[in-house]
Amino acid sequence: MTLTENLFENLRLELRRGCLTLAVLVQLRQEHYGYTLRKVLAERGLEIDESTLYPLLRRLEAQGLLTSEWREEDKRNKRFYRLSSDGEQILSQLLVEWRAINAAVNATIDNML
Amino acid sequence: MDLLDRYLQAVKKHLPWQRQDDIIAELRANLEAQLEDKEAGLGRPLTTGEAEDWLRQIGPPRQVAARYQPQQYLIGPVLFPTYWFVLRTAVFWVTIAYAVGVAVQIAVRTPSWAAVLEGVLRVPEVLLTTAASVTLIFAVIEYMSTRYPGRWPALAAFPGDWTPSALPPAEKEAVRGEKPRSRAHAIAAVIMIFLCLVWLLLLPHHPYVLLGPGVAYLSASPFQGAPVWWQAYWCVVAITLFQLIWRCIAIYRGRWQQQLSAERMAIAALGLIPLGLLLSIGDHAYITLRHPALDQLRYGGALDSINKSIHLSLLLLCAINVLQLLWGLGRMSLDCYRKHAAAMR
Repeated sequence: MTLTENLFENLRLELRRGCLTLAVLVQLRQEHYGYTLRKVLAERGLEIDESTLYPLLRRLEAQGLLTSEWREEDKRNKRFYRLSSDGEQILSQLLVEWRAINAAVNATIDNML
Repeated sequence: MDLLDRYLQAVKKHLPWQRQDDIIAELRANLEAQLEDKEAGLGRPLTTGEAEDWLRQIGPPRQVAARYQPQQYLIGPVLFPTYWFVLRTAVFWVTIAYAVGVAVQIAVRTPSWAAVLEGVLRVPEVLLTTAASVTLIFAVIEYMSTRYPGRWPALAAFPGDWTPSALPPAEKEAVRGEKPRSRAHAIAAVIMIFLCLVWLLLLPHHPYVLLGPGVAYLSASPFQGAPVWWQAYWCVVAITLFQLIWRCIAIYRGRWQQQLSAERMAIAALGLIPLGLLLSIGDHAYITLRHPALDQLRYGGALDSINKSIHLSLLLLCAINVLQLLWGLGRMSLDCYRKHAAAMR
């Protein structure tokens, strides 16, 4: 990997990090277990590695933004995640922030192109 | 699937034992669901090669397990600026303290090139020990602040209490009437003062650093210095050491531009002590004869002239020092008056 590619990769990861958290929180307004959540996000164009998504779910749960429960589905025990009430509150604030940033960045880009 | 079991077992080994069963059960459920989907899509089980490719794509077990741990740092980004500041400060001060210590030790004991070489060769050891100690302390603080968050806010936010007006002056901006001096310039001056101190400390045992080959003539001459010169010598050593410490503190506090006139006045005032000592001796006997009974007749006249000249020079030096001091005091009073007048407007 060249220096430029490496730099691009680092910036890309930095850019994606916050966006992924937001997408996961939004998607978990509806209950999912890890694999189906990954599939839904991928269908919407947001590919996330297993090794990124599953630990992220654990971290968000530890921060109180998600709740989880083990339940049997298709003869297999799975851990289902859902947005907690604290998570819902923070998500609303994050969405306001996201829309403001998105609008500002888009306006800046449109202005420059 | 054997490969998946082996993969999960490898991941488990790198997980914290309290949570490993729970994490592995969840990971297994997710990966098995993914595997079923893949096999349903292909209409057959994965071959060993395909399974290997799939697991390789998920990532090395150690790395996957690490993602489940909180981000670990020896010294994290919050504490790092403080660590870096303390490390640089500690290395700077330890180097100065070590250099002064070695110089004094060399001067007091029998000076030799071997002792100097030994002192120089130990510098890396001293610096590494300092850096390692500071790093260890900060690693412990980082560990404690991660494990018990909230107990170390003051350190994490260091320096917490600061005001913009306490910041060091811009390097190109000098105090009125002074030439601007950069930090590098100020550090170079400290090094020069330190070398001057070493030179002074070497003088008693190695007078050739002052007189060169003239030492031979001095030991053969009928004259010798009065004991009061030794008292004056130690005063000069103390003043140089004081100046060195003053400059180091000024650099540490970022005030190397602002305290020049105060330092000059302090040095001028302290300089009056050795001058006063020398001027106070009776009969102006700065130089005496080694064998007065033998040499008085031959060298008595010359000795008298030498002592009178020295006395005159000392008086002149004393007058210059007093004038310097008065000039400095005058300027300082004028500055205070101007500031006071400006504040009253």
